Amino acid sequence: MAGVAAALMAMPRITTNDDLRLAKGCAEGDTTIFEEIYRDHSDRMKSIAYNHLGNVSDAEDAVQETFLKVHRAASTYNGESAFTTWMYRVLINTCYDALRRRLRRIQEAPIDDVLTFERAGASVDDAKRMTLRKMLGELPEQRRTVFILFEVEGLSHAEIGRILNISEGNSKWILFATKKQLQEQWKNKS
Amino acid sequence: MTIHCDNFDDLLLEGDTFSMQIAAKHAKDCASCAEKLASWNEISETARGMHASWENEMLWPRIKRAVGAEKQRSRSHVWQIAAALLIFAVLGGLTWRAQERARKFDDVIMREAALEKVEQTEKEHIAAINNLEKMAQPRLSDPSSPLLVSYKEKLMLLDDAIAECQTNIDRNRQNAHLRRQLLAIYTEKQRTLQEVLREESHASNQ
Repeated sequence: MAGVAAALMAMPRITTNDDLRLAKGCAEGDTTIFEEIYRDHSDRMKSIAYNHLGNVSDAEDAVQETFLKVHRAASTYNGESAFTTWMYRVLINTCYDALRRRLRRIQEAPIDDVLTFERAGASVDDAKRMTLRKMLGELPEQRRTVFILFEVEGLSHAEIGRILNISEGNSKWILFATKKQLQEQWKNKS
Repeated sequence: MTIHCDNFDDLLLEGDTFSMQIAAKHAKDCASCAEKLASWNEISETARGMHASWENEMLWPRIKRAVGAEKQRSRSHVWQIAAALLIFAVLGGLTWRAQERARKFDDVIMREAALEKVEQTEKEHIAAINNLEKMAQPRLSDPSSPLLVSYKEKLMLLDDAIAECQTNIDRNRQNAHLRRQLLAIYTEKQRTLQEVLREESHASNQ
């Protein structure tokens, strides 16, 4: 019971008129609405997809597929969470689907494309990033996603909870367990 | 606020600024926790540098085209469903109409067959009565008693009634009431003729 209450607190109903406007526009295929979403969210969407899929081409495909899925399913948007939260959930599921398809094809994904990274704060060593990316690739889906959303994209645990449909406390615990696991591997590699 | 190494993980789990400040303060005096905190922070710093950002001017036009095509497809899909429903409704209507026509045609055939059967039976009945009439004719043409005169007059009335009824039936062959009326008159004629023949046999016995 307490778990349910915590989950409900982590996922407050925060639908606004703006969410409904976005959902309506997407359902109708209004390109100005899609353009608005693209302008505001594509940078983060591409980064999340890139960090899940490991290459630019697949990341762009995932973003495009997410927009199409949003267009198809926007009429079923029920307002349980913010429209953009729902959209990020669609993106992450699209990335999971792409990874599963890739696993089925038993293909090695290229680890990195040539990219220009915008680094926040002090610059870090490329080798360290490569190592961390490889370690993330070996993690279970949910752990990897929580780590990427919190540590890479800077989302709060409350936001992550709403996107992944888990409680804020659960998100915090998953991140801690993931970082502990990474820390062990990090020590061994260095 | 002082903490022990046992509580260090709780601070890392909490992860907020205040907890991390306390952890850092403790790490200053604890080598093993300092090492732990250093690798913990190193992972976070490395992760922060993993935010990928690139420009692809072709991506938005590509998405726009894909959404447009999807919209077009779903629109034509709606039209296809509507057209399919319309065709289904028209075909259903035509099939129902054809069945209705066939059923009406069958009804007409059945009615005609029933009528022919009735008329055939009537003809046989009339032939039998005509036969009786022939047998009674000699007595009726020259009635020997007032009773036979009365039978003759009754039979003439019945023949008039039969003729009138038959005329009406010729105008409306399917009128069951007229047919029942005609049958009743013929039955009466048959009974009268039988009485004439019985009267004749009584007279011959005497």
